[in-house]
Amino acid sequence: MNWYKNFDWLTFFSWMGLTVMGLFSIYSATQGPVSEFLPAFIQQNFWKQLIWVGASLFMVIALQFTAPRTFSQVAYFFYAFCITLTIGTLFLGVEVNGAKSWIEIAGFRFQVSELMKVSTVLAVSSYLSSRRNISMERLGSALSAASLIIIPGVLVLLQNDTGTALVIFALTPFLLFWSGLPYGISLFIVSPALIGYFSVIGWYWGLLTAFIITLMIFVIQKRVWLTITSAITGLILVGGVNIALTKVLQPHQIARIEAFVNPSFDPKGWGWNVIQAKTAIGSGGLTGKGFMQGTQTQLRFLPEQWTDFIFCVIGEEFGFIGSVFVVFLFMVLLIRLIYGAGQHKHPFAQSVLVGVSSIFLIHLLINTGSALGLLPVIGIPLPFVSYGGSAFLSNSLMIGISLNLLLYRREFTMYI
Amino acid sequence: MNSFQRERNRTSIRVLIGIVLLVGMIIVGRLYQLQVLEYDTYGPLSRENSLRQESVHPARGLILDKNGNLIADNEPVYTITITPANFDKKKIPLLAQLLNFSVDELEVLVKKAQKYSWQRSSKLIPEVNFEVFSKVEEHIWELPGIGHQIESKRVYPTSIKASHILGYLREISEQQYQRSNRYRLGDKAGTTGIENRYEEYLRGELGTRFVRINAYGQALGTYDNGGLDVSPSSGANIKTGLDVDLQKLAEELMVNKTGGIVAMDPRTGAIRAMVSAPDYDLSKLAGKIDNEYWAQINSDSTKPLFNRAITAMQPPGSTFKPLMALIGLKLGVITPKTTVYCNGAYVKGREYKCTGRHGEQDLAHAIQNSCNTYFFSLMNKIGTQEGLNAWTKLVNDFALGHSTGIDLPNEARGIVPDSAYFDRAFGKNKWGIGDVINLGVGQGAIGATPLQMATMVSMIANGGHKIKPHLVESVYNATDTVYKAQALTDSVTWTNKEALDLVRAGMRKVVTDGSARWYANIKYVEIAGKTGTAQNPHGRDHAWFVCYAPIDNPQLAVAVLVENAGFGSTSAAPIASLLMEKYFSGKVNRTWVYDRMIHFVPKDEDGVAE
Repeated sequence: MNWYKNFDWLTFFSWMGLTVMGLFSIYSATQGPVSEFLPAFIQQNFWKQLIWVGASLFMVIALQFTAPRTFSQVAYFFYAFCITLTIGTLFLGVEVNGAKSWIEIAGFRFQVSELMKVSTVLAVSSYLSSRRNISMERLGSALSAASLIIIPGVLVLLQNDTGTALVIFALTPFLLFWSGLPYGISLFIVSPALIGYFSVIGWYWGLLTAFIITLMIFVIQKRVWLTITSAITGLILVGGVNIALTKVLQPHQIARIEAFVNPSFDPKGWGWNVIQAKTAIGSGGLTGKGFMQGTQTQLRFLPEQWTDFIFCVIGEEFGFIGSVFVVFLFMVLLIRLIYGAGQHKHPFAQSVLVGVSSIFLIHLLINTGSALGLLPVIGIPLPFVSYGGSAFLSNSLMIGISLNLLLYRREFTMYI
Repeated sequence: MNSFQRERNRTSIRVLIGIVLLVGMIIVGRLYQLQVLEYDTYGPLSRENSLRQESVHPARGLILDKNGNLIADNEPVYTITITPANFDKKKIPLLAQLLNFSVDELEVLVKKAQKYSWQRSSKLIPEVNFEVFSKVEEHIWELPGIGHQIESKRVYPTSIKASHILGYLREISEQQYQRSNRYRLGDKAGTTGIENRYEEYLRGELGTRFVRINAYGQALGTYDNGGLDVSPSSGANIKTGLDVDLQKLAEELMVNKTGGIVAMDPRTGAIRAMVSAPDYDLSKLAGKIDNEYWAQINSDSTKPLFNRAITAMQPPGSTFKPLMALIGLKLGVITPKTTVYCNGAYVKGREYKCTGRHGEQDLAHAIQNSCNTYFFSLMNKIGTQEGLNAWTKLVNDFALGHSTGIDLPNEARGIVPDSAYFDRAFGKNKWGIGDVINLGVGQGAIGATPLQMATMVSMIANGGHKIKPHLVESVYNATDTVYKAQALTDSVTWTNKEALDLVRAGMRKVVTDGSARWYANIKYVEIAGKTGTAQNPHGRDHAWFVCYAPIDNPQLAVAVLVENAGFGSTSAAPIASLLMEKYFSGKVNRTWVYDRMIHFVPKDEDGVAE
């Protein structure tokens, strides 16, 4: 068998494509004219990233020589290890940007929460593939699987790393949906996020969303109790969001939430980032201002432009064409992974591939949504593009595992 | 895996791919909206973001005297500005320390700036000195939102004050701002004096500069190598007819006195010196106004802001007599030979007192001796034979009773009554010759400013040519003369050389043999003049002296009014004579007269009858 025929080149090259786009952007955001305003340790970020990319490439290649079943075998150990590490970090960790999710060993910092994502996908996949499919009548294993997600999610939340916690929580509907959770219930799990989002924009939008979702649940599942629960939950959410925004929350908290809807509400606080991010992207136009030519980027108008707002650098300097190219690479990667899951015969591999693509999808949505002013600003990196060693390594670990599962999809099937 | 499960997996894959594509479409759609559809909004926004449009203030025009001495110059002042939106309130203590302000004071100022505008820069601390300015600039990277503006303020390099001539600048009012697009709110404009009257020329045009900035508001240099910049055009310079040395002496002589001096070239009306006492210090009103000083000069009971040289109206007293002589001769009610016997008073219904018993007086002697009886009699003849209004018209021709048109704001018109005036004041037919006779000696319902009296005496000196007193000779910029004072061409036609010569001779006699002989009869130049005392019902009389010199070729005419100083011969005449001495000999030789006038204290018994 020719390994290169089975190797998933499309995944590999879209991964590398994103990485290269990321390196260009990080270079511009840290080594361009802007470097004048940046402290020295940030200017080094490009070179550090280069090292991480090299190490990750080596790791991904090395992973291809591993037997695929190893991943399901070590899944629980890895999960337990990460949980332990996360708890340890809570007490011994280093705080970076307000999040105590970093562990420091010999001057070397690693963000444990990034690794937690990988181990959660593996552990949940391992658990779900050992059970029969979840059905309407037997939701017990769904709850067990959900708790496997919620425990690390809460731990990461305790570390004050809201963004990563959100990604971990968001795994729940995707993985359960894949392993047979009825569509109606999956939709019900997702509904609070959607209703909440639209309620922030306007209570009437929230109400409309709640109505549509309830209707969809009824049409899909035709269960009266589920429909009623959904309707009540929807109403409570719309009311709750409204009360929270008008009565309960402090002005600065409201400002942060409302910033994306109405940036001028607090133009120098949370709105500032939204305004500057939108201005950066919008002013890029069709073809962009050119590499290292973006005024918003180079004159330091963007916050965290090498990590959370890297998409603005791409939008400003490479324009609509460059941004769409990045989105296109993500589409190729995600669709390829999901399609691969459909092709795969082994439930563990299917679940892992769905989980991995879910994580990337959520990152893509939240990161670009923040930069484009579609979502409240939640600081999470854009996979492979943003600067960040732990994130790059962890995301590449997922790519490596996915490539391995796809490479051995025929052999692996025999071990069912 | 059963077929049901396979079917469900296929559906799930489709749903997941659908979700992925939906997310992709949302992102691409939003990118399309921002980058393609709304590019016209965000493109300029990013340019504005990274560019700051600054106004560049033009240098205000300079003001020079007739010899090219710089009287009003500019000097840079540094104003610390703030853009509240970019400012970090945590930096207030640091900024306060750099500026030598208390934290509380600074907080108030920052709040004020926030109220003005959150996004636009406004002045935080006007006019800081260079040391403070450099200290702030050293820390500017720690102080986002803080900037500076270099403006200029007036400085006055010579030792003259010329406060009423030059005037001061104040922040423009809301109305001025609305009316013209040459100003920005907070700009200053001339409020009084030349600064006000010639604001249009002095101001210049605001320039614009584009500066690249980063998110901290730090200036990074020019944009497009200054391609879009519009440089300011400096204001035009003003050359006045002032003589700094003469002005300086005039100011010194008026210290601790109240009144006004006008010295002009009788041939052209060019003002050589103009003093209003008390005056004020322009340098304290330049740039950041010294509020304490401002309040003080505003509430001062002696009204230092008031320009007495062009607004103080007093009866001219005996200085009016030369003009009376010309009018008498014109109307034919007297001839040079006409005599009046003075026995110490003129009687017409009541007794009008003279200053002495002059005996038989012809016109020349009446001027020399300032004989009231003669002029009461003359005014009686005019009033009864020609009517008051004929007199009024002729007086008006010699610059009294209307504004002279000097290039300063708020000139007083003075009062020369006609019948309508008395009708208004007393009621129709309720006044008579008794109210008119007084006017013959420049008393009663007549008022003239020092400027008007200087103009009158100039016209006597120049042969009746009308002149328009003016401070500014020309206004010029780098390439052109944009304004030039125009001479008036018409003359008073009703008088003649004989009449004028007679009057001039009388005035010369005043100086050589009459009331002004102690102080004004100087060897440096031949002066012709007339003293006067304006009766003041509220206190000591006001002293006048009007004169010109040299007698045969007049080059300088001076009018001096010293309020509450008693006789003109002892207070006003010495001052005028010192100015003449200085002007024609180049220095003050009679230091004893100078010292006397510097320490002058009016005494009632002083001087001589006039």
